[in-house]
Amino acid sequence: MKSPAARLRPPSEKTQIIETDVLVVGGGVAGCLAVLGAAEAGARVTVCEKGGIIERSGSVAAGVDHFFSVLEEGPEWDTPEYLLRHVPRLTDGIADMGTTARLLHGLKPMVHYLEKLGVDFTDPETGRKYYRHRSFGMPGEYTINFDGRDFKHLIGRAARNTGALVLERVMVPEILVEDGRVRGAAAFHIRHGTFYFILARAVVMATGETNRMSRNASGLPFDSWHTPYNTGDGQAMSLRRGARLANMEFYDCTLCPKGYSTQGTNAFVGGGGHLINRQGERFMFRYHPDGERARRGDLVHGIVSEIMAGRGPIYCDCTHLPPEEIHRLKETLGVDRPAMPAFFEQKGIDIGKAPFEVTVSELSSRHGGTFFRSSGILIDPGTGTNVEGLFAAGDCSTMGAGISGAAVLGKVAGEEAARHALAARKPRALPEEEIAALRGAILSPLQNPGGYTHSRFEDEVRSVVTDYVGFYRDEPHMREGLRRLRALRAREGEMTARDHHGLMRVHEARSIRAVAEAMAASAIERRETRGGGAHARADYPARDDATGLKMIVVELQGEDLRVSSVPTGLTPEDTRSTVSLGEASAHAHTD
Amino acid sequence: MPILIDEKTCLSGCTICDFFCPGDIIWRESREEPPEVKYPDECWYCGACEDHCPVDAVKVVFPPEMLDCQTPVETLMGLPARRPA
Ligand SMILES: Cc1cc2nc3c(=O)[nH]c(=O)nc-3n(C[C@H](O)[C@H](O)[C@H](O)COP(=O)(O)OP(=O)(O)OC[C@H]3O[C@@H](n4cnc5c(N)ncnc54)[C@H](O)[C@@H]3O)c2cc1C
Ligand code: SF4
Ligand code: SF4
Repeated sequence: MKSPAARLRPPSEKTQIIETDVLVVGGGVAGCLAVLGAAEAGARVTVCEKGGIIERSGSVAAGVDHFFSVLEEGPEWDTPEYLLRHVPRLTDGIADMGTTARLLHGLKPMVHYLEKLGVDFTDPETGRKYYRHRSFGMPGEYTINFDGRDFKHLIGRAARNTGALVLERVMVPEILVEDGRVRGAAAFHIRHGTFYFILARAVVMATGETNRMSRNASGLPFDSWHTPYNTGDGQAMSLRRGARLANMEFYDCTLCPKGYSTQGTNAFVGGGGHLINRQGERFMFRYHPDGERARRGDLVHGIVSEIMAGRGPIYCDCTHLPPEEIHRLKETLGVDRPAMPAFFEQKGIDIGKAPFEVTVSELSSRHGGTFFRSSGILIDPGTGTNVEGLFAAGDCSTMGAGISGAAVLGKVAGEEAARHALAARKPRALPEEEIAALRGAILSPLQNPGGYTHSRFEDEVRSVVTDYVGFYRDEPHMREGLRRLRALRAREGEMTARDHHGLMRVHEARSIRAVAEAMAASAIERRETRGGGAHARADYPARDDATGLKMIVVELQGEDLRVSSVPTGLTPEDTRSTVSLGEASAHAHTD
Repeated sequence: MPILIDEKTCLSGCTICDFFCPGDIIWRESREEPPEVKYPDECWYCGACEDHCPVDAVKVVFPPEMLDCQTPVETLMGLPARRPA
């Protein structure tokens, strides 16, 4: 690897103009697969990634341990059709069956494709290939255990080997859309500041989910259970240029050891650990018939309700487990979060000796408690949006399903974007004044005087989201939250940045606010409680199928958000329907 | 400091932690100088730097806010939940 000193060019005052067929924004799981899909379809590809290196960027930089897939190995549950029939139930009736079908049919081929890139789906414990188990309330054993510590390295290397132009430490804060058609994007280097204008015939958004949105237990905003560097940039910049977002009312939250927002505690309860209250009572059965085996969102709500009822603190108790199981839990503790064992050690927790205190994390705008119903850019089964030439995949889109969803639909997005780009006219070059104006606007925080930092702005967004939009919601508070979030928009232009790294944080803060506003506007419209702890209304505490079986969609109209909804045509009990919502709602991009 | 780097053990010319950090927190701009934890307030505490350092020169150190956290869950909930029923 070359040292950064060798890679860094001196800061250039001149804007670098790049022309490409397909621009991929974000080099995470979906982004790397989009690069592969587009390059294999014959397009010239450029990818911008704000992290250091695509072999190690994004949520799975440190590693993964499971891949969700249908494999058609024989059991009745092991087909796309079988799983599809359960999707209305899994998503509480809020899903786009057309896009889900596209995803499910792509899973098995994707497993084989990834194997060709070097991914080894062997279970590290049993040594068995495709060793699968049941999780996430799924109707079959779809989850493959594997040692995915080098997963990102393998797909990143393959993406690089296509010969695509890979721009790392390069953030895209804005895309350009003219007459409803994508023209390209602006970008800058987060260390030395080189400014890029990338002229593209198609753009794939693959920027991941939104975090740093609400308060957490430690009060350190970057201590988040999902990647704090994924801040909804793709959602926000697409929204600003006319794309629709959907499912924005839902949120995702997890149980975690008190003081550290991290995933992983599920593994303890999944491995037989008990959740107990201050009286030592296993309380989860009060809230869900499956007890500690309930969905993540239900566990979160159980914990919160128990504390609110005055029976906290809550502990996770593993002391009754056999020594081999304790050993196994300790061994696998740090697979996807390598710092977990250090936290337990420094806090003096020994899971075999005493229960440890748990609490809940901050909110994340992503899967909304279940696969197939994500908060993000509304896509159709071909990953297209209502903006011509704009595609989206992974956790920034409405079809999130972990690394599996990001891989399958990321590749589809690359292929579709290439097809679109190769048929599209060569984009007209942008007049120099226009590029200069765009550059001036994006870099302006570097010129701003005063001390209004991204942290202060973000802290304000986080307190509004926590207090007014948050966890248990009601209409008067959300209206007030919406008012405050809109008022904060007016202060965006005051934020200052000392360097280009800080400039990245300023643009992230803008994205976080925009996503929060979309969350508030959408959550007001869902006058019911739905989704296994993904949307809880204090003023409408029950599920209401008469009004709730719809996907809530937001788009920008002038300065404000317009909220509409599309009936899903499903009921949670439905096991037959295969309506495609995406085709009905996002068809506008075709020609 | 969320990250302690042992400058004596750190290899000259290595830039792994700089490149692997997903948040641009650790910088090593020259091979002569040791890596610098440049934006300590923005660390995710993911441990990727510690995990990948070839000579175990990096250690993640959790701050008191995390180790001795006393924040009541009520402060993470919205106003409706905190209002007396
Ligand atoms: C610790 C952890 C463990 C996990 N383990 C698993 C697992 O075992 N199995 C599983 O299925 N799922 C797992 N997940 C979830 C999984 O990581 C995500 O669902 C998946 O990575 C989504 O892919 P993505 O491409 O949408 O996002 P990411 O892979 O996060 O990629 C988004 C990329 O976009 C870049 N980016 C963002 N904004 C910009 C911008 N404006 N300009 C340029 N670049 C930008 C980011 O730097 C990032 O690299 C885990 C998540 C975490 C955090
Ligand atoms: S713990 Fe993670 S975020 Fe913090 S410096 Fe190390 S690699 Fe970067
Ligand atoms: S990874 Fe380790 S050896 Fe390499 S630069 Fe960082 S601290 Fe030094």
